[in-house]
Amino acid sequence: MLRNVLSRLVTESVRVHHHVNPAPFKLTLTACRGSVRNFAEVKDEVQTPFNSTLLEVLVCPLSKKPLRYDADTNELINEELGIAYPIVDGIPNMIPQEARLLQKEEPSPSKPAE
Amino acid sequence: MAASVRLLFRRISRLSHRNINSTADSFSRRPGCCFGPFSSRCISDAAEDRNTHFGFETVPEAEKAKRVYKVFENVAEKYDIMNDAMSLGIHRLWKDMLLHVMHPQPGARLLDVAGGTGDISFRFLDYVYHQQERQKRRALGSSQTLSWQDISEKYPAEDAPHESSSVVCDINKEMLKVGKQRADSMGITSGLSWVVGDAEELPFDDDQFDIYTIAFGIRNVTHIDQALQEAFRVLKPGGRFMCLEFSKVTNPVLARLYDAYSFQVIPVLGEVIAGDWKSYQYLVESIRNFPDQEEFKGMIEDAGFCSVQYFNFTGGVVALHSGFKL
Repeated sequence: MLRNVLSRLVTESVRVHHHVNPAPFKLTLTACRGSVRNFAEVKDEVQTPFNSTLLEVLVCPLSKKPLRYDADTNELINEELGIAYPIVDGIPNMIPQEARLLQKEEPSPSKPAE
Repeated sequence: MAASVRLLFRRISRLSHRNINSTADSFSRRPGCCFGPFSSRCISDAAEDRNTHFGFETVPEAEKAKRVYKVFENVAEKYDIMNDAMSLGIHRLWKDMLLHVMHPQPGARLLDVAGGTGDISFRFLDYVYHQQERQKRRALGSSQTLSWQDISEKYPAEDAPHESSSVVCDINKEMLKVGKQRADSMGITSGLSWVVGDAEELPFDDDQFDIYTIAFGIRNVTHIDQALQEAFRVLKPGGRFMCLEFSKVTNPVLARLYDAYSFQVIPVLGEVIAGDWKSYQYLVESIRNFPDQEEFKGMIEDAGFCSVQYFNFTGGVVALHSGFKL
């Protein structure tokens, strides 16, 4: 915690742009964030967006059935209901209202009570 | 009391509209309580008029979720700083206490709902890591008289430290983004996952997690009982539900001071630091609308949890409720 505060002070006083190592020092500077976001994006493409343990645990919030990961569209697909949950920035979005209907005549994914 | 009177009035008007005479007798006999066949019909008709509270405002239920989302979307960037400013850093102690009471063992799986910027998960992973170190040291300490071969055999397998994992679930993408950035900057690579999900409709299978926590999030949920039922569902048998939330201050002197601080100081801080008066006004109002310790304990028991207890921190400003799925 203290290290983070100190590092923040250091970066804010020195204005580090060429600090390529993203791990310790990149907390709040928007200037820094530009270069670092590229790094993060590269990292995201190299590794799977979420580890397999999460895939084992995640199910469709509506039907509670397991999902299939589609690497091309980067979505989690529920075949039965014909809906796809997007994955944004490596974080799966499991809100039913934000799911995309696949091209079939399946019931709408949004729940009225919500 | 007012709510039941309002319901009564609506029922009277609806019944007179439909000209149902037979109900008039039973009606006069039992004023004020909900009775079976008619209440269900009336409630289904009243669904679209059902309101809930958003701070001190009354809003339709569908509205509340949207407005809460907006609040946290606005404050996400400055959330951690504001927490420190508003609670004078005491929120860290409350969260540390949560971990202390939780006392997770290595290998435990945590679901951190409304985890947002990840405070609880980071502490969890840290705690478990230190537990593991302590256990290793104790194991080694007891093997001082053994040969080198025996000692090396006692070293735990490499994958044991990674068994404990935490899933951070929040309805708000912005909060999770901030949390993920924090995790990346702290260099945490394994054992932590981020999911956008609704506490009332969790995207997890039954009997998955050892511990379910929701810290300062449940008062923002529109249907608290649904969230509690979902918590019950995803916990393993023997799993623990833990909820940290602002609650009623029992001491009257402290209550006055707390009220004054809440309504005079906090929104001003919100304006100065985060540039958002309204969100922090909502925050302090939502605290007042949340049920008190005993009532919330009752709600948790209704969801099926056993051995429900609560601990008051800072004189009742914050309460930690805990229950087990048995």
